[in-house]
This record gives sequence, C-alpha cells and structure tokens, in this order.
Amino acid sequence: MRTTVDLLRCLMAEDFAVYETALFLDGHPNDGEALAYLAQHKGESDALKEKLVRAGYPLTFTDTPQGRYAWVNTPWPWQKGGC
Amino acid sequence: MWQYERKLQYPVRIKTPNAATAKIIISQLGGPDGELAASMRYLHQRYTVPYGEIVGILTDVGTEELAHLEMIAAILYQLTDGLSAEEIKRQGMDAYFVDHTAGLYPQAASGVPTDMKYIGVKGDLLADLNEDLAAEQKARVTYDNILRLVDDPDVKDPIRYLREREIVHYQRFGDALGIAQDKLDARNFYAFNPEFDKRLR
Repeated sequence: MRTTVDLLRCLMAEDFAVYETALFLDGHPNDGEALAYLAQHKGESDALKEKLVRAGYPLTFTDTPQGRYAWVNTPWPWQKGGC
Repeated sequence: MWQYERKLQYPVRIKTPNAATAKIIISQLGGPDGELAASMRYLHQRYTVPYGEIVGILTDVGTEELAHLEMIAAILYQLTDGLSAEEIKRQGMDAYFVDHTAGLYPQAASGVPTDMKYIGVKGDLLADLNEDLAAEQKARVTYDNILRLVDDPDVKDPIRYLREREIVHYQRFGDALGIAQDKLDARNFYAFNPEFDKRLR
C-alpha cells in the first residue's frame, strides 16, 4: 500500500503536467493537442487527490478525511514527514 | 481568491543543515530577483491588462511564484532546523540570528530587507512584459550563481528545478509579448503602442 508521501509525490508529478499545460494554454487557448493532454492529466490528478483524502491526508483546509479535522495535526510540507 | 494546497510544487528533502548555504539562498526569498518580488510584480501588473491571455499568464505565473516562495522557505527551514547557536555562529549566520532567530524573514543575502522598489508596475503592456522577461532572466542568473556556490546535491536538486521554471516562464512571457504586439498593432515593428490611449478596457 502506498503511503501518503508516495501519493503526494505522484500528485506532484501529475500536477506538474497539469500546470505546465494550462500555462501554455493561456497563450495558445485553441491548441487541441494541449487541451487533450490537459484533460488526461487533470483526470489523473483529481483521482490522486481523492485517493489522498481517503487515505487520511487533508490537501486543503476544508478536507475532513475519515470524518476528522486533520488540518492542524498533519505534518506541513516543509517539516519532517511532510512533502 | 486563493486556496492553499498542502504540498510543495516539487519535493525538498535536505539531510544536512548548513547555515552558510541558507545565508546565500535567502536571496531568493526576499532579494531583488527573489520569488516574493516576482509574485508581487505579476499579480499587481495583471489588473489593467486588456487581453485575457496575458491576464491568465500573469495570474498563473504569479501564483506559481508563491509556490516557489514556499519551496525556498522549505529549503531555508531545513538548512537551519536543529542548529545550535554555536553552529549558527560558526557557520556565519550570527548577524541574521540576532534579529530573527531561526525565523524566515524575507531579505537579500546582503541583509537588505525585501522592498517593493524591486518591482515595476508601469501600467503599459509593452513596458511591463519587457520587465517580466528581464526579471525571469535575472532570477535564472541568481539560481546559476547559487549552483556555483553550493555543493549539497539535496539542495541543488530543487534549485535546479526552480532555475528551469524561470526558463519556462521566460518562454510564456515571450508568448505574451507576441500577443500584445500583434493585438496592439501587428504592423508596428517598433512596439511602442501605448495601451492606455487605446481605451481597450
């Protein structure tokens, strides 16, 4: 089973593709190839985000994974155990 | 509005603290070509821009710079976490320590606090985009200089990532300048159309 840190690293990779493509689309909004590439990676990113929250990781401050408010007692990205 | 996501844009995992390295890298937190100045420059320039593509680029690059600011902060935090006052003194960070302890205060490596004089908002697309292109190159040079001064591979890896983002942002601002020149007047080779007089908004 993948840990939340493994999942976060996968999400970083997916979101890199997502942001990079969206930033390109800002200047080239009619590029069909880029649009399809964005849709594919956006789907993967959304699925990983859901998986992370289900695994107990609050990605945003309104996430309540497993019915808990975990925002304040989960390692922050710069701390040990964070990512 | 903005919403925080609890993750870095790219991982930072430094095993060996080193205050001397932190003293150099702090320039990308609050120095003249640092990430704070970059973010503030783009996020304030965008409001009066008449073309959606360019507002998009300024908004999204400006937002990404905030993620870079957090990465630099993570590097600085991990480089100083757990150091004793004696180690901080030996590694040359005592002058900073006396004012800020181990807190992260945005300043240049020289000790000058961050300043909005580092950025320009001229309210003219051609002037502002040319500033942005130069800003990305200057940040890239700062990262090149950090890579010349730092040996630790744990530090160099995220610094290399940030350096590459400067190169990509330069490309995107190049797109933006092309769009601006075409839309203001594609026939004006000399690129001096004043956006303000055209009443485009």
